[in-house]
Amino acid sequence: MSHQNPQQGQTAAEQTPLDKLTRRQLQELEQKKMTPFQKFLEAVIMVLPLVCGLVSVLEYILIPDNSTNRHPQTYLVFLILLICAYFLCLVYAGIRMAQKQKTFYEKLRYRAPLCSALFLLLAYYDYLTLKTGILTQPFVPCLNFVINAFWQDRMMILDCTLHTLKLLFLGYFAGVSLGLVTGITCGYSPRCRYWIDPIIKFLGPIPTSTWIPIMMVVATSLFGGAVFIIALGSWFAVTVASMTGISNVDKDYLEAARTLGANSRQLVFRVAIPHAMPNIFSGLTQAMSSSCTAIMIAEMLGVKSGLGWYMNWSKSWASYDSMFAALFVICIIFTVVTKSLEAVKRRVLRWQIGVKA
Amino acid sequence: MEKTVLKLDNVSKSFAKIETDDVTHALSSVTTTMESGEFISMVGPSGCGKSTILRLVAGLIQPTTGSITLNGKPIEGPGPDRGMMFQKATLFPWLTVYDNIAFSLKMQGKLKGNEDRVEEMIKTIGLQDFREDYPGQLSGGMAQRVALVRSLINEPPVLLLDEPLGALDAFTRMNMQDEILRIWQKKQQLAIMVTHDVDEAIYMGTRVLVMDSHPGRIVSDLKIEQPYPRDRSSQEFVEYRNEILKQLHFAGTKEK
Repeated sequence: MSHQNPQQGQTAAEQTPLDKLTRRQLQELEQKKMTPFQKFLEAVIMVLPLVCGLVSVLEYILIPDNSTNRHPQTYLVFLILLICAYFLCLVYAGIRMAQKQKTFYEKLRYRAPLCSALFLLLAYYDYLTLKTGILTQPFVPCLNFVINAFWQDRMMILDCTLHTLKLLFLGYFAGVSLGLVTGITCGYSPRCRYWIDPIIKFLGPIPTSTWIPIMMVVATSLFGGAVFIIALGSWFAVTVASMTGISNVDKDYLEAARTLGANSRQLVFRVAIPHAMPNIFSGLTQAMSSSCTAIMIAEMLGVKSGLGWYMNWSKSWASYDSMFAALFVICIIFTVVTKSLEAVKRRVLRWQIGVKA
Repeated sequence: MEKTVLKLDNVSKSFAKIETDDVTHALSSVTTTMESGEFISMVGPSGCGKSTILRLVAGLIQPTTGSITLNGKPIEGPGPDRGMMFQKATLFPWLTVYDNIAFSLKMQGKLKGNEDRVEEMIKTIGLQDFREDYPGQLSGGMAQRVALVRSLINEPPVLLLDEPLGALDAFTRMNMQDEILRIWQKKQQLAIMVTHDVDEAIYMGTRVLVMDSHPGRIVSDLKIEQPYPRDRSSQEFVEYRNEILKQLHFAGTKEK
């Protein structure tokens, strides 16, 4: 048996006795050996993003521009930074591989085709905009314009971003905390539900944006009005979700907890609420997406600051490049916010996926 | 441990049916006395009210008429002096094995200083390697073991077992029977177990209550006078089994 006398050229997995295998080694052992051709293909896939990056750089430098391009080096620097970032990841993956840690390599391998596609997409977009004008300049600006606009207006954009975030978090957290209180009390006490349910039934079907014109008339400050609108949307989402979660608590858990000596307060906080956590989190996620929508509408229609306002304002000055820059910033901050919420959810609900803490 | 006496005096329990005006009589005038040191098995067809008796003793429901007293005091609600184990393990999926076992102590604010008791329980069931795991990662047998010691952490004088092994495979089941017996023999609580399995009832119980339905009542109260561990194939065992099957109207026909 090859397990008893280790030969040269064996992997660590093959040298470990069967009863001491780790999960990863087991996978390795059971995987089919790669043919030389497959190994070659694998290497090509890993290097392909660099090649595609080079293609996009050459496309940018070699093909003559169709319209005037100020500060042409910005986009070039951006591309080179991206390529360098990928290259560094590749080197790091190589180092980890040498230490027999394959995780990072596998993650990179998974994303490598996407990276290649991204570089090709950048090249194609540049070709469509700057090089040929198939997408008319300046209405659909090439990336170089957008990055330049972002850099020139960075202080303004930063200021607007902070405004947006402030509004978002104020509204979101106000709505969420109120929503948790109403949702949990209504879920647990039928008497509360009796009074609150009609309010939810009445307010629920009204889309958040409907309130904006009313707010512009009624509210003393537009900022306060916007906070109210965002809070209302998230309040609604969280209330409904946590109410459902709490009222659907498995009766068996409550009975088990009662025989274990839990009092009614503990039944709520130690059983009902943890049990409803998955529901509550889906409410939190929904509230976040409704908040993001509401904030953009509020900023575009009334509030005189923030990224939504900035986009509208840039449009009225015909600086479409700044408009697109703001669009990218919006994309980034909303992604970050949603991902962070997702991370918190994974941490809190780790018992659900059955992964060890 | 002090001697515990559980008395059911003329206990009846009826349930209102959902959506019709009818009432189901789950239990009708049950009178019996149970003491610590006894292991009572209750067998009978579904609907004979055996689980109802357990839930009444646990205090999860109240009797329609009659009284249940534990050491002379009427039972008014669930309490840590009566540990209960269900057919489903009902481990809280958001708590680790350790926290599930410690749950009862924590609810009573007694966990501080009693951590070693939790550790000891984990050791009793041999799940030291799983103490930080969540119930979703446990097998059915492991989950039931955790549920067993979770209900034992308060050292309750009364242990209520509601078909605790019904969902387990045959081998795990026989192992768990011995495990429960071992714990009970050490502490000599009053254990009351509901089961569908006649062999299990005889193998484990010092007394077997045979019940019948419509309305739910005790038809016979059989003392099993055999030392532990019992031999499932011994002559006496077979005789007990035949006797009980006859009470349940299964004698001479194939067992269901």
